[in-house]
Amino acid sequence: MNFNYTDEQQLLSDSVERFVAENYDLEARKKIVDGEPGFSREHWRSMAELGWLALPFAEADGGFGGTQVETMILMESFGKGLVVEPYVASIVLGGGALRRGGSKALKEKLMPGVIDGSVQLAFAYAEEQARFDLEDVVTAAKADGDGFVINGAKSVVQNAATATHIVVSARTSGGQVDTNGITLFLVDAKADGIERYDYPTVDGLRASEVKFKNVRVGKDAVLGDVGKGFEILNAVANDGILALSAEAVGAMEVLYKDTVAYTQERQQFGHPLSDFQVLQHRMVEMFMEYEQCKSLLYRATMETANDSPTAQRTIHALKHLVGRAGIFVAENAVQLHGGMGMTEELRIGHYFKRIVVIDSVFGNTDHHLKKFAA
Amino acid sequence: MDIDLSPDDLKFRAEVREFLSSSAYKPGADYGKWRDEWFAKAKAKGGWDVPKWPKEFGGPGWTPTQHYIWEQETAQATLPWDMPFGIGMLAPILMGYGSKEQQERFLPDIRARKVNWCQGYSEPGAGSDLASLKTKAVLSEDGKYYTVNGTKIWTTAAHMADWIFCLTRTQDTGVRQEGITFLLFPMKQPGIEVKPIITLGGAHSVNTVYITDVKVPVENRIGEEGKGWTYAKGLLQHERTGLAGISRSLVALEKLKEHAASVKRGNATLMDEPAFRAKVAALEVDLMALEFTELRSLAAAAKGGALGPESSIMKLKGTEIQQRIAKLTVEAGGIYAAGWGMPIGAKFARGGMASYLASRAYTIYGGASEVQKDVIAKNVLGIRSSQK
Ligand SMILES: Cc1cc2nc3c(=O)[nH]c(=O)nc-3n(C[C@H](O)[C@H](O)[C@H](O)COP(=O)(O)OP(=O)(O)OC[C@H]3O[C@@H](n4cnc5c(N)ncnc54)[C@H](O)[C@@H]3O)c2cc1C
Repeated sequence: MNFNYTDEQQLLSDSVERFVAENYDLEARKKIVDGEPGFSREHWRSMAELGWLALPFAEADGGFGGTQVETMILMESFGKGLVVEPYVASIVLGGGALRRGGSKALKEKLMPGVIDGSVQLAFAYAEEQARFDLEDVVTAAKADGDGFVINGAKSVVQNAATATHIVVSARTSGGQVDTNGITLFLVDAKADGIERYDYPTVDGLRASEVKFKNVRVGKDAVLGDVGKGFEILNAVANDGILALSAEAVGAMEVLYKDTVAYTQERQQFGHPLSDFQVLQHRMVEMFMEYEQCKSLLYRATMETANDSPTAQRTIHALKHLVGRAGIFVAENAVQLHGGMGMTEELRIGHYFKRIVVIDSVFGNTDHHLKKFAA
Repeated sequence: MDIDLSPDDLKFRAEVREFLSSSAYKPGADYGKWRDEWFAKAKAKGGWDVPKWPKEFGGPGWTPTQHYIWEQETAQATLPWDMPFGIGMLAPILMGYGSKEQQERFLPDIRARKVNWCQGYSEPGAGSDLASLKTKAVLSEDGKYYTVNGTKIWTTAAHMADWIFCLTRTQDTGVRQEGITFLLFPMKQPGIEVKPIITLGGAHSVNTVYITDVKVPVENRIGEEGKGWTYAKGLLQHERTGLAGISRSLVALEKLKEHAASVKRGNATLMDEPAFRAKVAALEVDLMALEFTELRSLAAAAKGGALGPESSIMKLKGTEIQQRIAKLTVEAGGIYAAGWGMPIGAKFARGGMASYLASRAYTIYGGASEVQKDVIAKNVLGIRSSQK
């Protein structure tokens, strides 16, 4: 067992820390979030140049052959700056599906673009009736000639508005909640029959409701095998959970540390707030919850990278804890900042919103506790 | 002890129900006109437009049980939009400590909802430690007016207010609760600048108010100079009981159940999921208890006069309950939590995030929870700290 970064991982960590410190203070982020397309194309290019967009992809595909550990290092720092570039949507999720399920031809066609940033992906899996259940898929793909016709609707699809391609889960056979019979397709985002309703989300990101109306795709659009998409879908969702949890852990670190700093500065009753024991204890609890999340994050990430048989259960544990503890830390950071914590002016509130949203993605705290206990 | 409503109370409840249904807003009607008429009708019922005002000031003089019935019934109905600052906060101060002239000058407009008030207490350096406030008021040599300078912050609705009731410092005696003076002055005048503060989710309800050389005639001072703290403290108790929002929470909880039951999960609904159901049930238990804590406190107050320290329990527990309801509404919204107000997902979920974000302030304003617990420790448990 070893918790030390390799030299390469340390370099990665240093460079992403530097990137966030230089580019992601609250003002700079606000400018990006309020502008179009909701992230910085310049940052996206830098990320490509720094090699980050290549991290999780196999060397044979032009990538660096990294694992979930490298993604974790990156995402934890992204969480400290609330980075909004579509790394999770395009690289972890869309890219994760492509690298796992794409045919040789499809990868040859798209991977260079994914890695240089010119191709952007979105991952359309969530449906209204499904709530948090990945296998609950109503969107249907019917075989038609030598391809498929897709009909259905997907919700809260991140980065759909700027994606060049959308990965979509659709049912090709079986009942509504069968894991068998789900197929993943990679669809041109401009294909006829795709309709989008785009909107900003409360955490400063962008998402869309995406409708598929008789969208035609060829056989070559299938990722993996027809009807066997769930395995890929689930693996991609697990990677998504690990990435978002790392982001949340980074955000929790900022929240507890900012609170410790603020309460030492703010004076009331002739004392810094940090003199009051009840607040000291609260901050100690915030700190402990953060450390606990970090521990499960390491555990789940390394188990996944090692293909451990316990990885799935640990991922459930992680997402449960990140939801519960993350919201505890976030709510108390606001509480201990008093009125200031409620403002858009301090960064606390922005981290708070992001943490609450993360709980709603890929299953909330209750959902994963239930799966963990099952 | 008897838990049943008396025949008189039942009669009263029927009358309230009759009134609320006959005066209800009809969709499409002119809102402003309806609002004016509603208050006029309520007034004609014998002070129902100012239920909490004492009888000698035109209130209905209800018993605690009647107040409870009113709260319960009105929580279900749509009442006209009303701000608490004049009716609920300043009016009791005027009645308790204002001069006859001041009462006659200000109360009728407050009652008619003609003049909007805001509360100028908090300052950048004086939040929980309100008594450290620094906004300065200096009496002119002829003793006719004060000149006020300072900054107020978090002033709710200052941008819509006609007047402000404001705590100012007229003297530094070393004891911070002394030397505070309670002044009233108009907001629309040179020397007052209102700057919006945007809160989480983009709402504008609070402001910073910069006060520069504003002249306030002494007639606008409540009570004696330097005694403002005593007056304000009484008012804070009123504010806190109002903030518990118990009957509103009872209604919100029912709504939450309804919404959760509309979220289908296979052949069942979200309400059937054990974890969610247990959280809703625990909320209901706490709320049932709090309802009776309020009733006990009202009954005690009716016998003994002043509101007891129970008002602190109510504020603490009541605001926590409101926050839990808001949080569970977001949870019920599931994947749409991020959507806040967008036309996506179930209708009920669209306002969920905004309410949840706003609810985080409930344990901050009107006395932050941590400080409220200090108050209970000291005033109710009688704990004397050896530190200070
Ligand atoms: C939405 C909103 C509306 C408001 N509307 C108004 C208004 O209309 N008029 C008005 O005058 N004010 C208003 N306020 C201000 C409100 O009353 C203050 O925010 C509140 O008193 C807390 O003060 P503060 O924000 O300075 O926090 P601080 O006093 O700095 O407190 C920060 C944290 O420290 C804790 N703390 C402070 N002292 C102690 C202690 N001794 N022991 C343990 N913990 C402690 C607090 O509990 C809190 O968690 C509003 C505030 C908000 C957020």
